[in-house]
Amino acid sequence: MVYTHKNPALLIMGLIMLAIGASVSLGWQAGVIQYLDLSKLTWEMTSLTYIFGGIAVVVGLWHLFGTHVEGHLDYYLSTVAGVIFILLIAMVVRWYLDPYIAVLSKAMGPVMGDKYLHDVLGLNYVVLGIVAGILVVNVFKVPRWAENGVRLSRLGLKTGVVLLGTLYSAAELQSLGGLSVMMIGVFVLGSVGLTLWLGARRNVPNSMGGVLSAGLGVCGVSAAVAAAPVVQAKSVEIAYTIGTILLWGVGCMFLFPVIGHLLNMSHLQFGAWAGTGILNSAQVAGAALAYQPDGIETLKVAEIFNITRVLVLPIIVVWLAVWYVKREESAPGVNAVRVIFEKFPVFVIGFLLMFGLSSTGIFAPAQHYQGKYFDNNIKEEKLLKPAQVETLRAEAAKVQREDQKAALARLMDNRKVMSPDDDDVLRGLVNAKALSKDANGVLKGAHKAVRHDAKKVAAFRDWITWLFAFGLVGLGMQITLASIKQAGGQPLVIGGIVGTLKAGLSLVVVLLFVHETI
Amino acid sequence: MTDPRSQDIDLQEEAGAKFHRGSALSIFKSDRHEDFMALLLSLCIALGVYFLVA
Repeated sequence: MVYTHKNPALLIMGLIMLAIGASVSLGWQAGVIQYLDLSKLTWEMTSLTYIFGGIAVVVGLWHLFGTHVEGHLDYYLSTVAGVIFILLIAMVVRWYLDPYIAVLSKAMGPVMGDKYLHDVLGLNYVVLGIVAGILVVNVFKVPRWAENGVRLSRLGLKTGVVLLGTLYSAAELQSLGGLSVMMIGVFVLGSVGLTLWLGARRNVPNSMGGVLSAGLGVCGVSAAVAAAPVVQAKSVEIAYTIGTILLWGVGCMFLFPVIGHLLNMSHLQFGAWAGTGILNSAQVAGAALAYQPDGIETLKVAEIFNITRVLVLPIIVVWLAVWYVKREESAPGVNAVRVIFEKFPVFVIGFLLMFGLSSTGIFAPAQHYQGKYFDNNIKEEKLLKPAQVETLRAEAAKVQREDQKAALARLMDNRKVMSPDDDDVLRGLVNAKALSKDANGVLKGAHKAVRHDAKKVAAFRDWITWLFAFGLVGLGMQITLASIKQAGGQPLVIGGIVGTLKAGLSLVVVLLFVHETI
Repeated sequence: MTDPRSQDIDLQEEAGAKFHRGSALSIFKSDRHEDFMALLLSLCIALGVYFLVA
């Protein structure tokens, strides 16, 4: 069987990519870049289009004019057409569709705290990529010349999961409060266990139960994507899980602040509840900001709980890997240890290795979270200027809270933020809008000067984004309407049961045990 | 069955597409093979980032 199709599609796609790159280089897209706020992406818009456009043109010429015989060369080079097809769609989603939706959403103004509609609905490149893939397969069908390459999407996803380990660090986990670790530990493990149990009771496939448990238990969409290859989830199962998480999260985000106000919860209590009970990170932040629009205390607590939850991901990935292998391969007389050894998804080891390397501080200072860290050893020119200190001093009397007064005094004395705690307190002061625009601008500048983004981890983030975008568009292309019907409504039912129990029980625990300390 | 020298032997038809290697979801002959490719690819990316990004 010869896989290569004598078709001009690859050559044409390569030329389109080169045209996109050239138009960005020559400034022909300056208006679009400014309108969609793409200035940070112009480097990747030129480099990726030139690299992959060049490859597509060369291989496309070979597809069209070369002689093809059965063998490895034909088999592997025929995948290039599908890879470029997916990449082109991913580029359109990431560079044009996702930013355009963000622009439209921002034009409508914030809807929850400072969160916009696209944040609230989780309309980012992950969801849009899957939707784009689903549209392609159900409206146009995947072209024959692209079919072989589409089968590489899972490789992209697995590679992205391995690199995901670079974003987290064990040191960050150690620095979190004891209560958040205990609560999250109980609720994450409980949710995962309950979902797996319910899935088995309701005859849901193991792969569906596995991916749903990660999504409901850990941190929503990214956990579902990370767990999917571990439990060999089908594309439609990933899509169902993401849909369930986002629907549930949106509902919680509006409901939680109302209940919080009805019960007169403290900032600490509400932050702990939102960080435990709401599934997706953006929605956690949205609910916390909606509950306390004039400060940052609730958001800070919710973030601590949310980060704790994300950092449990490596444990859950290993658990699901072992659970899935045992469930799929268990039979009387079978040696479970041997089966696990033979079937364990070894890319998970790569993920753990990257997590371990990241914890040593090889890519960023060990105390980082997703590459971001605090460091106030800054150069002289980054310190506040005397005029800026005077701006703050002139308005210091407006500050009422003691912790904010003290943090502000230390900032003015040292001309820089002195600790991560001070940084949080001063962010709260900005959020409270107690000072003038100029003074808030000075505070924001001081915050930026001590918060750093490790370049290596930022580069890993870019790689992960593209690998996930590639993988998810490709997975979307494997979701037909027939497969969606076949999956049925069980994920929504299980998601509803687990989500309600998690939210209800975490509320009870918070009300009973969370008072003033984390 | 076709010519024994042909790759069409054991041709699989899944999800409407025909592939003689791998499955409907992967071009690799097994999941473990795909895992190792993912590890190799991520190692290349990690080394590239480590040495090329300042």
